[in-house]
Formats: sequence, C-alpha cells, structure tokens
Amino acid sequence: MRRSSNRKSSSASAAAGSGSTKAASKEFEKIDHLFNVYADKSSAIIDPEGIEQLCSSLEVDYTDVRILMLAWKMKAQKQGFFTLEEWRTGLKALRADSMSKLKKALPELVKEVSRPTDFLDFYSYAFRYCLTEDKQKCIDIESACQLLSLVLGTQFGPQVEKFTEYLKSQSEYKVMNMDQWMGFYRFCNEIPFPSLENYDSDLAWPLILDNFVEWFRENQN
Amino acid sequence: MSGQSKKKPFKIEAYKHRVEVDPKYADRTWAVIEHAINEIYNHNASGLSFEELYRNAYNMVLYKFGERQYNGLVSTVTRHLRDMGKAIESAQGSFLDELNRKWSDHTKSMQMIRDVLMYMDRTYIPTNHKTPVYELGLNLWRDHIIHSAKIQTRLVDMLLEQIHRERMGEVINRGLMRSVTKMLTELGSSVYQEVFEKSFLDVSASFYSGESQQYIEVYNCSNYLRMAEKRINEEVERVSHYLDSKTEPKITAVVEKELVETHMHRLVHMENSGLIPMLVSNMYEDLNCMYNLFKRVPSGLNLIKDVMASHLKETGKQLVTDPDRLKDPVDFIQRLLDMREKYNEIITKSFHNDKAFQNALNASFEYFININNRSPEFISLFVDDALRKGVKGASDDDVDQVLDRVLVLFRYLQEKDVFEKYYKQHLAKRLLSAKSVSEEAERGMILKLKTECGYQFTSKLEGMFNDIKTSQDTMLGFYNSPYGNDMADMPAITVQILTTGSWPTQNINTCILPAEIVIVCEKFKAYYLGTHNGRRLTWQTNMGHADLKATFGKGQKHELNVSTYQMCVLMLFNSADRLTYREIEQATDIPGPDLKRCLQSLACVRGKNVLRKEPMSRDISEDDAFLFNDKFTSKLVKVKIGTVVAQKETEPEKMETRQRVEEDRKPQIEAAIVRVMKSRRVLDHNSIVTEVTNQLQARFLPNPVVIKKRIESLIEREFLERDKADRRLYRYMA
Repeated sequence: MRRSSNRKSSSASAAAGSGSTKAASKEFEKIDHLFNVYADKSSAIIDPEGIEQLCSSLEVDYTDVRILMLAWKMKAQKQGFFTLEEWRTGLKALRADSMSKLKKALPELVKEVSRPTDFLDFYSYAFRYCLTEDKQKCIDIESACQLLSLVLGTQFGPQVEKFTEYLKSQSEYKVMNMDQWMGFYRFCNEIPFPSLENYDSDLAWPLILDNFVEWFRENQN
Repeated sequence: MSGQSKKKPFKIEAYKHRVEVDPKYADRTWAVIEHAINEIYNHNASGLSFEELYRNAYNMVLYKFGERQYNGLVSTVTRHLRDMGKAIESAQGSFLDELNRKWSDHTKSMQMIRDVLMYMDRTYIPTNHKTPVYELGLNLWRDHIIHSAKIQTRLVDMLLEQIHRERMGEVINRGLMRSVTKMLTELGSSVYQEVFEKSFLDVSASFYSGESQQYIEVYNCSNYLRMAEKRINEEVERVSHYLDSKTEPKITAVVEKELVETHMHRLVHMENSGLIPMLVSNMYEDLNCMYNLFKRVPSGLNLIKDVMASHLKETGKQLVTDPDRLKDPVDFIQRLLDMREKYNEIITKSFHNDKAFQNALNASFEYFININNRSPEFISLFVDDALRKGVKGASDDDVDQVLDRVLVLFRYLQEKDVFEKYYKQHLAKRLLSAKSVSEEAERGMILKLKTECGYQFTSKLEGMFNDIKTSQDTMLGFYNSPYGNDMADMPAITVQILTTGSWPTQNINTCILPAEIVIVCEKFKAYYLGTHNGRRLTWQTNMGHADLKATFGKGQKHELNVSTYQMCVLMLFNSADRLTYREIEQATDIPGPDLKRCLQSLACVRGKNVLRKEPMSRDISEDDAFLFNDKFTSKLVKVKIGTVVAQKETEPEKMETRQRVEEDRKPQIEAAIVRVMKSRRVLDHNSIVTEVTNQLQARFLPNPVVIKKRIESLIEREFLERDKADRRLYRYMA
C-alpha cells in the first residue's frame, strides 16, 4: 500500500500544494474542508473575520477563553489568524473533523487545560500570543489586565481582581513583561490570599509584586 | 636430781629483753616529761636538761609506751590551754593583746616540746597515723581557744571593730592585727576564712553599702569617684599590711560592687556632674578616674561607652540638622572636625586609647554624618575653601594635617560617589579661575584620595590637571605659530582646552560673542584643529572671563574683570547708550536665568554698577532697560565684577546633581551584579544583594529595591534568568 501511495504522492504533491501523502491528505480531507469554510479565499488563512464566524458556529463568544485555548491547542503563532498547518494540528489533536465534533471537544479541552502542567504551558502561551510585533517583549497594562481576567479569572478570582485594580491605579509600570507575568501565576499558587502571610520581599519575587503587596497591605488598613 | 624424772625438751625461747620490768617505769618517765612541759609553759624552761628529756621521751617510745606519751601530751597541753583560755577570757582592755601573747607563748612552748619529743614525732606518730606534735599543738589551740564560744565571738568582734575604726580615720595597732590574722592563717586557711574572712567581707559590704548611699546623695560625680578610688586603695593597703593576701581580690570586689557597680548608672547620668558634663567640659582627669574605676566592674566600660556614643549621636544629629549651621558649609565641617578632635583627645588622655571607644566614636560619626545628605557636598566645599584661601596662618604641613583630618570625615561618608561629583565640580572651578593657593596642596589632596579610594576615583581629576598644563603649552604654540603671530591689534586670548570625559558635564550653552572676539576665537580654532586632526572644539561661554578697559564720563579709566557673559553684554554698549532687556537678550542669546544674574551683578551691586537700570529695583524684570553708567566711580583701578552666584547649589541644581548620581549608580550596580553572577553562576536573591552591597560600599550604599530593579532589567535583556527548578534562584546566562 505504501509503495503505491509513495508513487502517487510524487505526482500528487504538485497538485495538492502541500508535502503530505495522499493517505494523509485523505486524513485531513474533512479537516481541510472545514478549514476552507472559514478561510479567506485569497490568502488561504483564517483571518479575524473568519474567526468571528467560527465563533458563532461554535456558539462561543469570540472573547471567550476557549478560543484562546483552541489557539493554544493549534500552537497558533499570530493572534487573530489560523494557518492550515495550525488548523490541522489542533483539530487532529482534538480528534474533530466536523463542527459538531469540534463543539463537543471544547469541554474536554477546557478540562485538559486545567491540569497543572498543561495550564502552565497555556498560561505562558497566552502571554506570547499577545506579542504582536516582532521584537516585542511586553504587553501594555490594559491588555495585561484583560488577559489576566480571561485566563486566571475563574481559578484565582480575588487575586486577579486586586492585582488588576492595583495595576490600573499605579503609573510606574506601563507594560508587563514575561517574567512578571509568570511571577504572578507563581504568586497565586504559592501565597495564600488575602493573608499574604509567607510573602517575603527579600526573595526573588519581581519588584512589581513587591509593590502590589505593599499597596494591598496599605489599602487594607 | 636425776632418776626416772621426765626429761624436759630443749627449748629455745625468744629473747625477751625486758630490761626493766618495772611497771612504774612508764609512770616515772612520763612524770618527768610532764613536769618539763609544765615548766615550759611556766616560762621555766631554762632549768631543764634537753638531753635528759630527749632520752626519756626516746625511751618511752622504745619501751612501747608511745601511746601513753602521746595521750599524756594531749591532756597536758589541753590543761594548759584551758588555763590560758581563762586568762584570755578575763582580759579586760587588751583582749587581742592577751590573746596574741598567749599564742606566742604556746607556739614557742610547742616548738620546744616538739624538739623534746622529736623521736616520737618521727617514729611512733607516722606509724600510728597520729597528728605530728606541732600540728597537734595548733589543732588543740584551735579547738580549745579559737573555737571556744566566748573567745571566738569576741575575737572576731574585736578585729572587726579595729578595722572599722581605721576606716573611720583612727590609727590602730597594725602590728597586733597582723599577728592575730597570721595566727588564724597558720591554723589553716579554712579557719581564717570561716572565723574571720567571711564576717569581714560581710561587714565590709554593709559598711560600704551604707557609705555609698550616704555619699551618693551628697557628692557630685567627680568627688564620689575620687572617694571610691581612695577607699579601694585603702583596702588594698590594709590587706598588704595586716591581712592575708588572698583576701585582696575578695575585698576589692566587695568595694567595687558596693561603691561603683550599684551606683554606676546614677553616677553616669548625674545631672550637671555626670559623664556627659564631664565630656562637654573636657575634664580629663575625672574621666580617667571614672574609666579606671568602671573598668573594675562588669559592663562598667560598656556603660560609659554607650552613654558617650549616644551623646555623640545626639549632639552630632543636632548639629547636622540645625538649619542655621547649614548656611555655612565651611563652618559646618569645621565644627565636625573640632568635635572629632575633642573626642579623640578625650579617648587618648582619659580612656587609654581604648579601641572599643575609638570604634564607638567612629560608629557615631558615621551615623550622624550620613543623616544629612549634603555632607558630601559640604566636605568638598570645605576642601575647596581650604585650597582657595589656604588655612589661616598655616604652613604646608599644617594644611596637610587639616586635609588628613578632613579625610577622616570623608571615610565616614556612605555616599562617596556624591562627594566625587562635587569635588570634580569645585576643582574645575578652581582650576579654571586659577584660584588654588598651592598646586602642591591640590596634588597632595588628590594623592590622599587615591590612596583612600583607588586609582579609578582620581584618574579623571588628574586628567583635569593635565588639561590645564597642556593648554599652557598649546597657548605658547599658538602664539609662536603663523595663526597667532600677528595679533597686535586684537584682544589677547588665553584658551583652556578641556577634555570632555574628565570635566564635569555641562550643558552646552553658546551665546553670541562680540565680533572682535569671534575673530580671535576662529584663529585659535584654526590653529588647534590644524595640529589636532579629528577633534571637535566647543566654546564654553558660561565659563571664562575677560578684562575690559573702560572709560567713564569724566575720563576715568578702569580695568574691569568680568565673566564672558558680562563681557558680551558690556560690549553692546559700545554702540548704544541704552538697551532694553529684550534687546540685550536677542543680541547676546544668553539663557534667561544666566542673563538675569549677569545683569544684576552689573547694575545692582554697589561699587560695581557700571550699568544703570530703569527702574532702580533690585530684581531684574524683562521690561527693564539698561544704560551705561557714566557716573561710575571706584577707588580701585582694577575692578572685579563677580557674578551674583551662590557657591552652594540651588535647589534645582541639587536635584539635578542627585539625579545624575542616581543615574550613574545604575550601571555600576548592574556591573556588580554581573560580576557576582559570573563567578557564582547560580545564586539566591538575598545573597546577590549582600554581595553587591559589599562590592559597592566603598563608593555608596546601594538601595536593595534598586538592585532588584536592575536584576529584572538584566533578566529582560537576557543576561540572567530565573532558575527553572527553583524559582528563588537566578542563573547567569553565558
């Protein structure tokens, strides 16, 4: 079987436009078909508009965190766009090749993400996903706050609420970098809230968290 | 006789030598000895024959009557002691005397008796583990005399009473005392201690306790201390004269405790006469007395040291925060120097140069000198003043000494980099206005700073000196060159070329120079750039000065020494008699604040008002107008017109300098962090802070928050990363 498909692939590759085997393209046939429903005809990529449509098909708001999770599963590089390769990766991993299957896969996906090791990966992915420019290393505070609520809002609601309140009230930091982003997640996991009892600013916590803790303690009194 | 009788076996019997089987032998012999003992005790020994007695005693032992002899000795001596005891008890006035005499008799008697009974002492006594004769005599005395209830109490009371009298100033019979205490010691150290010493110490304790209570209410500190010292010396002397030497440390401990230790705090804090007034009034001898006394008691010296230190800190703090003091930096530093000298003297003269005190002095100074964050600036100003004017009436060596003392203050600074900045600024001004009194003194100071802080600290300063020297050579070259050759009708120019890196950074303000000056400047520039390719020259018009020849209304000529800005302004009046502020501003392009100061110094200062201002107010406003003052007069031909400028920094300038210092510190902190991480590879946060602080503390004390910020910046720039396994650690990224 393989030999024949190999031969066929050499002639078929030019036609298919991608370097996959015929068997593989059969595997992805339905997935690709689904892709084309939302992709822009000229660029062959799903653009923001396409994503919006996808969201309404999934019956999910496009600001919903599950779209972000989907992007994570796809290992999507650019915010607002899904390439064919990424689409394939994601949907294959979810074992979904139709809209109904995809819809059903979403709750599973949410569960998967909440597992600690996966969540860590998802969390740092969420930050990188927002870096739109090439050499960009930070995201502005406003966006960071939104992203925090989206990603950590359910798990660590009180911390996120207070932290975003702090971020919005201060003017020293205009952007947040990856180190501070990851530091906050560690903070939520390791420091009891709202007692903050074992927080030690002499340790290696990012300065922004030191300032947050100080602000929080002052405002409590 | 023979017959059938039994034959007796032949027996050999032991030799039973009983020369005299006379049962009365022992009695008779003992009687002789007993009689002798009695005679001895009755001071009738002369009639006795030693040889005969010795023989008798010898025989007693030989014939196995040793025990009889020993027991007899005990009872005879005891009998005599009883008699003696009664005599002593009934002694009226001279109890101790009587006791002493009887003791003397007894010991002499015992010696004689021992000599007589020598054989028994050497044979019977050791074999039967009996007490030797003389010692037996002592023990019997002890038991029957000393420990006799009536005698013992009286004995101790008498001794103590004598001592008390002597303490109250009476003269007593020391010889007698000595004999008595010697007796007690001879009877055994436990006898001495139990019978006498313990009570002595107790009584002394309550005596001195009472005395100290009394005197502490009445005496001031110095007098009390001297009293205490006297008492201690007295006791030492007492012991040496008639007590056992082992008592000395014990009695001195008692006196020290009662007189000194109990009242330590009260003495030190005594109002008007305690430690602090003594320090203030430099009472060297009293302080020395206090030191010597307090040294004897635990934590005595610590008390003095701590009180001194906190007093220093208080005084110092007041001095550095007093707003009046801050108006005159030179005076401020002089006071600090005086204060340090004063306490140095005290520690040397009164505290035996005790290292702990030196350290306390240093710590206190370090504490308060850094409370005022202008201290670095002020120290630099003090040095500036000294190098400008010279120290009043001082030789080179004296100046050197003053600078050495200033350097001591410098060492206390935590922010040495701030000092460096100011020193540079002040040095620049001195060099450019050629205001140093002695170049040697300048160089000397730099050498001291180099020894103190290393080459890096002073390399730029030396660069400044070099620039001045080089400029002089350049000027010679200029005037000898074609550029500078034909300058007969032009103003003479002297240029100082400053290398940008070495001199304090200035904002580059150029103004519009008068035409004649521009020509000369261009000539020089051409010459210089001709010989130095690739360099760029920028005229610093905010420094520099000029000499102008001015002719006034009645023809009086004066030579005016002015700054560059002032020159630009004045030259304008060659072509106009009256100019408004705005016209001057436009023509010269001098920045606003500088222009105002410049005009103020030309028009509003009495004796220097070569310009007149309309209106005549003190302050310059932008609507003012200025006229050439025809009527200017001065007694001097050469008039120096300084600019109204404060030697100290103004508030905004201060902020700027401080900001620059903070900015300069950031790269230094980062460099230190990188150095530390490069060698340690992996480190936790606290350790980094400690190591970095150690590295930088010779220059300044880094703020831990700033260190953290720098670390995060380095993380962002990927010089460091957080360890993936343990997020409390940082890792160096090669």
